[in-house]
Amino acid sequence: MLPDSLIASDEPVLQATGLVKQFAGRRVVDEVGLRCQAGQVLGLLGANGAGKTTTLRMCYGFLQPDAGTIRIAGIDRRIDPEAAARRVGVCTQDDTFDADFTVRDNLLQMSRYYRPRPAEIKARIAALLERFGLDRYAHAKPDTLSGGYRRRLMIARALIHEPQLLFLDEPTTGLDPQARLEVWELIDALRRDGLGIVLTTHYMDEAERLSDELLVLREGRVVASGQSRAVLGDLVGEHMLVLDAHDPAAPAVRAWVRQAGLPEPARVLSDLHIALDGPGLAQFSSQFGDLRFEVRPPTLDDLFLKLAEKS
Amino acid sequence: MILHYRAAFQWQSHAVLGRHLTVYRRNWHTAALPPLLEPVILLLAFGVGLGGFIPEFAWRGQPVSYLAYLAPGMLAYTAFMTAFFQALFAAYIRMHYQKTWEGQLITQVRLEHVVWGEMLWAATLGTTYALIVTLVLAGFSLSGWLDLHWFSALLVLPLLFLAALAFATLGLLFTAIVPSIDHMNIPFFLVIMPLGFASSTYFPMEGDSLWAAVWLTLNPLHHLAEGIRHLMLVGEMNYHLAAAFGLFLLMILILAPVDELLLRRRVLGEG
Repeated sequence: MLPDSLIASDEPVLQATGLVKQFAGRRVVDEVGLRCQAGQVLGLLGANGAGKTTTLRMCYGFLQPDAGTIRIAGIDRRIDPEAAARRVGVCTQDDTFDADFTVRDNLLQMSRYYRPRPAEIKARIAALLERFGLDRYAHAKPDTLSGGYRRRLMIARALIHEPQLLFLDEPTTGLDPQARLEVWELIDALRRDGLGIVLTTHYMDEAERLSDELLVLREGRVVASGQSRAVLGDLVGEHMLVLDAHDPAAPAVRAWVRQAGLPEPARVLSDLHIALDGPGLAQFSSQFGDLRFEVRPPTLDDLFLKLAEKS
Repeated sequence: MILHYRAAFQWQSHAVLGRHLTVYRRNWHTAALPPLLEPVILLLAFGVGLGGFIPEFAWRGQPVSYLAYLAPGMLAYTAFMTAFFQALFAAYIRMHYQKTWEGQLITQVRLEHVVWGEMLWAATLGTTYALIVTLVLAGFSLSGWLDLHWFSALLVLPLLFLAALAFATLGLLFTAIVPSIDHMNIPFFLVIMPLGFASSTYFPMEGDSLWAAVWLTLNPLHHLAEGIRHLMLVGEMNYHLAAAFGLFLLMILILAPVDELLLRRRVLGEG
């Protein structure tokens, strides 16, 4: 899908440094940096209000950063915003397709907002309709489609001009499990095509499954970045110990945690979740050997709980 | 941020204009009904019907039929209302409910292009509707109902385009500041209705008092209506056309950047 010269380039398709954005005197994004290579998915995580969408909006040009630089495939967005925008495709969180047009004409109309105009547009539209399973809805109005197909249309619109970098802002929010899975497969295929993808999501399984790299934001700042396992280890711990909060030994466990200087256990429904490293787990086992507990690897759910607790 | 007037001439603004034209062309058979039927109904109801009860009507001391007086005013009023409504209600719906603007702003189109695209579209539609009214007036003239230089209306089409562009900037101003669509009655009844009716469009206004004289001097619609009336009834250009041109130009120069500034704040949260 992408020209070979672009795929072969070592230049990251997105390189953003020191991004700052203020609204009404409040810093919602504070010195954030992002880097995404062709054929890579960068996941942007954070609780509501962490600054994910604002960061994304600055990168794709909807908002101007107060400070920082954004380079799209080597092009400085501030110096040549039009050339940078030509290389970017965007799937917004809300449905922003044009409700006055059919599915097919949405793709055609979208192509008119780009120069140079996408080549062989009719063939391009036909290929996208087929690839996204939209061909049988080509003459339908988007409002009549199911949520999953609307998302497909949104992603197809974002690809009409063959961008090098795709931004997906919570692409599967509100979809049923089957539709989510189908969108995941599409995203995975686009990555294999060599497209650089930056996505935000609230779904932990989605971030873990799709992202090559994760970047975690809290209150506008980057609190962790790297491969998902490493990010979880940094923020949550190597192991997650789960025990019944109503166990008679629970107060003793809490006291032990405090004494060991560990983070306060998280209460999730009727369970206590305790993040531990290797030596910590060994100590716990020797202290509470008779207790019934479960040990599992940390997940992004644990990360979100941790972030929510901190904020 | 000051709006770059050059955005009016950039391809992105024309792409936005093209989008609106495409949608309109698809619905032309229903969309063309109001500009075609409204003047016919108004001319018959007010010009012929009500005018029948006004046998002695004078304009600038000359006896004219009320129908002949009304016709040029309708032309000015059509350009005014069409452009204003398009820039207020239709643009607001595209901005807020349909999220058409956001869908455009994630491409190479920037906010100044969306703003100019909306203004150019409103002006194009206002001028087109005025042209349709001209054709209706031509029909009335050719069938002997009206006695006026209907073809001279074609000469003022560029001025009508400028007028519609200026009224579009006014419409977008309210689009940028009204809290919700429910509040659009406020600009409509407090600004648009007085501007539209106290303007020599449907009845003559005299500047007898100081306030009336100031109002009429500053109301561009009054100059437009009187200028077109002079042209169509007497067959001559007069100073009202020049005054209208100046006021419309001033409106555009002042309001267009203000619109962009306010919409930048509303749509992007910036500024």
